[in-house]
Amino acid sequence: MNEYINKIKNKEIDIVEHTHKVIEECKKINKEYNYFNIISEKLALAQATALKKDIEKNNVKNKKLLGVMVSAKDAICVKGVESTAGSKILKGYKPLFDATAIKKAVEQGAIIIGKTSQDEFGFGSFAVNTYNIPKNPHDKTRSCGGSSGGAAGITAKAHFPHIALGESTGGSIAAPASFCGVFGLTPTYGRVSRYGLMDFGNSLDKIGPIGKTIGEVSALLETISGHDDKESTSLNNPIEKYSNIKADVKGMKIGIIKEAFGNGVEKAVDKTVWEGIKKLEDAGAKVEEISLAMPIEYGLATYYLIGTSEASTNLAKYCGMRYGASEDMKDSFNEYFTKVRSNNFTEESKRRIMLGTFARMSGYRDAYYIKALKVRTKIIEEYKKQFKKYDALVSPTVPVLPTKFSEIEKLSPLQHYMMDVMLVGPNLAGLPHMNVPVGFENKLPVGMLLIGNHLEENKLLQLGNEFENE
Amino acid sequence: MNKFTNDIVIGLEIHVELNTQTKLFCGCPTQGSEEPNTRTCVTCLGMPGSKPVLNKKAVEHAIKLCLALNCKMSKELIFSRKSYFYPDMSKNYQVTQYEMPLGQKGKLKLRGEEVGITRVHMEEDPASLVHPAGMQRSPYVLVDYNRSGNPLVEIVTEPELKSAGQAREFMKQLITTLGYLKIFDVNEGIIKADANVSIKESGYVRQEVKNITGFKEIERALNYEIERQKKEVSEGKKLEQETRSWDSEKGITFLLRKKETEEDYGYIMDTDLVKTDITEDMLNKINEVMPELVHDKIEKFISKHKLKKKDAEVIAAEIELAELYEAVAKEINPILAAKWLRRELVRVLNYNKKELYEMEADEKHIIALLSLVESKKITDNVAQKLLEKLIEKPFDVKEYVIKENLGAVSDSKELEKYCKEAIDENPKAVEDYKAGEEKSFNFLVGQVMRKTKGKATPKEVNEIMKKIIG
Repeated sequence: MNEYINKIKNKEIDIVEHTHKVIEECKKINKEYNYFNIISEKLALAQATALKKDIEKNNVKNKKLLGVMVSAKDAICVKGVESTAGSKILKGYKPLFDATAIKKAVEQGAIIIGKTSQDEFGFGSFAVNTYNIPKNPHDKTRSCGGSSGGAAGITAKAHFPHIALGESTGGSIAAPASFCGVFGLTPTYGRVSRYGLMDFGNSLDKIGPIGKTIGEVSALLETISGHDDKESTSLNNPIEKYSNIKADVKGMKIGIIKEAFGNGVEKAVDKTVWEGIKKLEDAGAKVEEISLAMPIEYGLATYYLIGTSEASTNLAKYCGMRYGASEDMKDSFNEYFTKVRSNNFTEESKRRIMLGTFARMSGYRDAYYIKALKVRTKIIEEYKKQFKKYDALVSPTVPVLPTKFSEIEKLSPLQHYMMDVMLVGPNLAGLPHMNVPVGFENKLPVGMLLIGNHLEENKLLQLGNEFENE
Repeated sequence: MNKFTNDIVIGLEIHVELNTQTKLFCGCPTQGSEEPNTRTCVTCLGMPGSKPVLNKKAVEHAIKLCLALNCKMSKELIFSRKSYFYPDMSKNYQVTQYEMPLGQKGKLKLRGEEVGITRVHMEEDPASLVHPAGMQRSPYVLVDYNRSGNPLVEIVTEPELKSAGQAREFMKQLITTLGYLKIFDVNEGIIKADANVSIKESGYVRQEVKNITGFKEIERALNYEIERQKKEVSEGKKLEQETRSWDSEKGITFLLRKKETEEDYGYIMDTDLVKTDITEDMLNKINEVMPELVHDKIEKFISKHKLKKKDAEVIAAEIELAELYEAVAKEINPILAAKWLRRELVRVLNYNKKELYEMEADEKHIIALLSLVESKKITDNVAQKLLEKLIEKPFDVKEYVIKENLGAVSDSKELEKYCKEAIDENPKAVEDYKAGEEKSFNFLVGQVMRKTKGKATPKEVNEIMKKIIG
């Protein structure tokens, strides 16, 4: 990527011409793979033209992402570009403002090429709960994983330097990164401003980068991190120079989560992840097996109670009042809202709204919502204990190889939710975690999950560097 | 079955609009353009991806109120989402406080007794709905979001109020307190109450009356409602729990809905907002700038200025009047000042349909006027007329008195001259008086007063006249 940036700077590559080519390639890929809900051709060309002027004026010295193509998960607002979060209910909606992550990326010279397909509002593990289903870059009959499926897919498929902005609530960056064989880093909760992100679960949502290389992931992470006056939960801690991180894992202590292997994990996945662990060991890391029962055992229930409770309030605003889908207006507002929501949400959204609404109703609230909050605290404590001893924890990212669409149809909702069993823990705890592509099995990628302590993204990148050339 | 023993049981939920410059969770101004939907942004419109940022000034205001009401303070400020669908809600949930209100277990001192405050909490105002042809007949509704997100505090009382009159007194006393704290615009700000009211005869079946604005309305509404309940019961009807609305134009309450069960708002934490710690340090700082409150002022007026209790109460009831009085009493005999402010100033203002804050003349003008009264340089009569002129438009009182020759006539020789003139001109009146008719004497005094254009004091004229006629 740095080589590419230099060529842009030296005018060896004409940024406008290059952008044209990229857009054409995206259109071509999209016909087959459905990675974009919308390709923002006009915006990208306008940004390229503006950059070209700056380059000619020699005004671009330190831009970290000069001319780099960045795609945004559909839930991340881009001003003036249709943003639907994968939902029919927001068809035609063009945000009035840029998300902070977009604004920061563009300030560093990025070109926004489009909005990537996803499960509606992030509700899913296969990116199938939406009007535009992305297909796996390694096998079109299989899923990209979800919910940031389009983001991971285009990252794997693009031949041009590109980084994706994904978003994870319960595993939606790491899971598709695993299925598509790319790096996907979910930062510490609060590291990246959520301003401009259409909410799923406010205490869980995190924007993060998906890239082909650690260098790309680091550069985008460094760009979008930091405090934002417009977003109260964004952290004020100094931003590390993620892009300067070297591959050196000697002496690092790694805990292997025992419960995440064996039962329920495909053999091929198990085997390939262990190969990855071996590689770290060979490079000088100290590896030990640890037990971390709580997140695996109670993580899913806790995550779904909190996530759906928050989501059911966040989705209340979509009712056809001022934007998005509308229906014939007859009868009272209540009937109108019901009609808009009934006709335009997917079944999965309705399921989660009902689940979440139920969990917070009086009479059930204490048993479900409040209890889940308490268990969440316990889960965080359990992780924190481990990080006193270890630099990172390891498990498979997803227990299976990329799933065939024909198999997905047969899965029950609970089996869907099981895909995230390794991922909900770090997401609930707000811990940074990253999918590392560790190898292939039958030409299908396998991902290994690295989990770090709060604000220790640097360690994950350091470890991930060992896999840079895979 | 229940603990009540009073004939009438009333509890109030009062919403007060705090007078901050900007809204509770965004930078939009709370005042300014009245054109609909001009004071809005993505946050108070609830657009997807927008996030709230807490207004610190509003928190300070709310803490001041809690302290003034002697509340037990919460250690932290946490906001919750109250979910319900309604067209005036930009997000279909209201950000409010649920589990841990900012203040609890306070009290407000009324003339007779103290009324318990259950809780004080902060919340955002919804938008306003406009029914162009009246609520019942309008074929459509317009929404104005200018008000959406304005900061409110809700004050909930214990069900301890015993009459409509006492409810009025409570509201009035609360408004006085808000005025003293300078956290509420006493003249333009909105204060609304919902009242829970029940009577012994019905077995205390609770009726909630919504939408009562201001302290005059509360007495009307409650008197109506109490009479209505008594009538229903005396006609043998059994009351059920109801939510009713006050129609101030018609002077009636009408049924909104039967309350079979409590509404279920499915409260959850609003994790877009971080916890704000209410520290000792913070409270100390606010305590340092807490103004004297109404009861302190009354005490002070009685002990320091030797005012009668009633005078002290009337002057202290309005912060502007109290502050004016204190300024004037520094220069003028406090009792004289009290008499003039409480009686004359209030009378002249009422006559001119003006509020104190609308008066252009300030304490300097009042002091100038009253110092002339105090030194008997002008008569009360002249002073009253000057005060009337001052309220219309301020001017230099001393200069005016000299220019217009309004100084009091206290030279007894001159007065004797006027008296003799009056006697000579009205022989009939003199005769009548001598025949025992008191009225005729007053007539003669009046003649003298007219000749001096009110510049003589009636007492002096009386004495001189008596001496002459005998």
